Amino acid sequence: MGERDGGAELGDHWLKVGFVAPALLLLLCVNVFPLFYSLWLSFTNADLIGSGAVQSVGTLNYSFLFIDPRYAEALRTTALFVVAAVSAQLVLGYGLALCLQERFRGKAVLLTLLLVPMMMPPAVMGVYWKLILDGSYGVLNHGLAFLGFGQPQWTTDPGLKLLSLLIVDVWMWTPFMLLISLASLNAIPTYIYEAAAIDRAGRWRVFRRITLPMSAPLVGLAVLLRSTDALKQFDLVMAITGPNDGATQTLSALLYQVMFRDGKVGMASAYSYVVLVVVIALASIFLRYLNHLQRRVGTAS
Amino acid sequence: MKRAIGPAAVALLVSLWVVAAADADEKSLTIWWAQWDPAAGLQELSQDFTAETGVAVTVHQIPWGSYQDQVFLEYGNESTAFDIVVGDSQWIGRGATKGLYLELTDWIGGAIDLDGIHPLAKRYLMEYPTGSGKIWAAPCETDALGFAYRRDWFEDMQEQTTFRANYGRELTPPQTWKQFRDIAEFFHRPHGKRYGAALLSGRGYDSITMGFQPFLWAFGGAWGDPETFAVKGHLDTPAAAEGLQFMIELLKFSAPGGTNADYGGVLNAFTNGSTAMALNYFPFFPGIVEAMGDKVGFFVVPGHDGTRAISLGGQGMSISTKIPALQQALAKRFIAWFQQKSVQQKWITYPGAFTANKELLDSAAFRDAYPFNGTFAQSLDHLRDFWNVPVYNELLAVNARVLGEALDGSKTPQAALERLAMEHEMILRGAGLGR
Repeated sequence: MGERDGGAELGDHWLKVGFVAPALLLLLCVNVFPLFYSLWLSFTNADLIGSGAVQSVGTLNYSFLFIDPRYAEALRTTALFVVAAVSAQLVLGYGLALCLQERFRGKAVLLTLLLVPMMMPPAVMGVYWKLILDGSYGVLNHGLAFLGFGQPQWTTDPGLKLLSLLIVDVWMWTPFMLLISLASLNAIPTYIYEAAAIDRAGRWRVFRRITLPMSAPLVGLAVLLRSTDALKQFDLVMAITGPNDGATQTLSALLYQVMFRDGKVGMASAYSYVVLVVVIALASIFLRYLNHLQRRVGTAS
Repeated sequence: MKRAIGPAAVALLVSLWVVAAADADEKSLTIWWAQWDPAAGLQELSQDFTAETGVAVTVHQIPWGSYQDQVFLEYGNESTAFDIVVGDSQWIGRGATKGLYLELTDWIGGAIDLDGIHPLAKRYLMEYPTGSGKIWAAPCETDALGFAYRRDWFEDMQEQTTFRANYGRELTPPQTWKQFRDIAEFFHRPHGKRYGAALLSGRGYDSITMGFQPFLWAFGGAWGDPETFAVKGHLDTPAAAEGLQFMIELLKFSAPGGTNADYGGVLNAFTNGSTAMALNYFPFFPGIVEAMGDKVGFFVVPGHDGTRAISLGGQGMSISTKIPALQQALAKRFIAWFQQKSVQQKWITYPGAFTANKELLDSAAFRDAYPFNGTFAQSLDHLRDFWNVPVYNELLAVNARVLGEALDGSKTPQAALERLAMEHEMILRGAGLGR
């Protein structure tokens, strides 16, 4: 009996392994292996088209980061883009969620319409927005001219290029913030609001002391997700201004330029590793803060 | 019934195998080129080669925007899908030093008449290092920048009278950049949606570089010393900055968005009927003639203080090193066939197809074939090219960013060129060029 039990346990064990192994193998092949392979490449002179042997160059690719002015500029542009885009999406998304929190006629239809931009492929939207923003024949400038306004050159004026990308990104991803914010607001138990009403707490006080802190962990998670996504901004840059425009060259666009246009695989790997370390560091700091926030909310409720 | 299915399936498989084997024996050549009129012409012309030799030729056309990326990504493979690539003039250094282009030096002298090729086409489209005599390509499309202009506007009596009264000279195609500026200013009437000039200033690939070069060279600047690869003292001089400043001044007479216009943008600005003069490569002009007929004329890129310098365009045919020797031999056969005078004679009859054959360039047949051919022939002696070193693409990318900043007003011309000189030297040194 005992032996049969042991055999069944062994069978279960291998069954588990059998189920997990394919996924694990796939993960190793497409995720873990490229990660370590690119780490190795970052210390070499690997070339996309070169027929010569790949040689070690030590930390040369990493040291080049400090003298390549493009990297510092791309870092600055990316940081500005992330902060501006995510802040605008947070304010607009959370604000819309507060408006849509109450039940009203047509809410479902309105919510569906608001979520449409998020469902669109960013690359396709980039191409459409390029047409919309075109200074000469874009529909936006036609609209502005009809209303008697000037004709801003959205995609060529250096002061407006990044703003154009921000407008499109905010248009696309505010619905995501709205969705998560709405979910977080709906998750707050109604009895807390009822208790606040009994205590005659004002609307602002309720918002500041209940709504905001209790929705913060989930909204914070959305901010984290959007920030990491915005850090990788590539599709819109590629479609609207191109990967080599100094005013809008994000880190991903620079990596594309170094990898595919310059053909420097080793250098592109080094650049991307530094980005990876920065993203991991920022994400872990933010996650710690979110955990702290969640603990505080848990204690308070 | 079941009995009949078995033998039928076997027969079908055998016949499929026979057809496949026959296909494999058929000789064929694949050429990769950008998507434009000359490539369509080459596809049509190659039917003559097929008729003569039985070798089928396919000209695979790739949109200009992704052409370079696709070619070099293809070179990342063990073997290439193309036998011949019609590569841009700047690519030749990369193709030669990275082992991508087959060296043709020993073969080409016996296969084609090298003396019959225009010396500048030989220098810029065939050799690397320039002037070394080492040959990696044969001329396919010889090309140059030129101007298309609204002849109907220039010949309008009222416009001519007003221009004469304002500028004290006749309204004729300009010979100097200063005359060009006057005409651009004269026709620039933004309230009437009419603009003076469209210049190349786009930030993708090489548009801004090709657009800036005529100003750089005519005003006395240079990309650098081709022997020592020194850039400082050539590119960041006051003369070069004056050239850039002049280009920026001219862009004030362009349509909205004219400070970031690539080849397509310039073409569009002209064919939509709003612009008086447009700079572009000659192979784009057949489309203009088709759309606007005799309303258009053409003139050679102007000069400054007696110096006229024009950006070279054009591509040479190179053979991939990553194909079997048999295919390389077939590719050589095609190139030798294409360079024959009789074939070149037919080649120049296709829209936007330009030859490097000196005799044909001087012929009346060439000049009369298209309304812009005479201007093209006049332009050839003034051609110069950008660096064709292996790191040309990095240099182009820096140009697009830094010159773009100057055009956008975020850097002064002098500051932009100093930055450019510094970055160019860094890239060239990094590639082991110069000291």
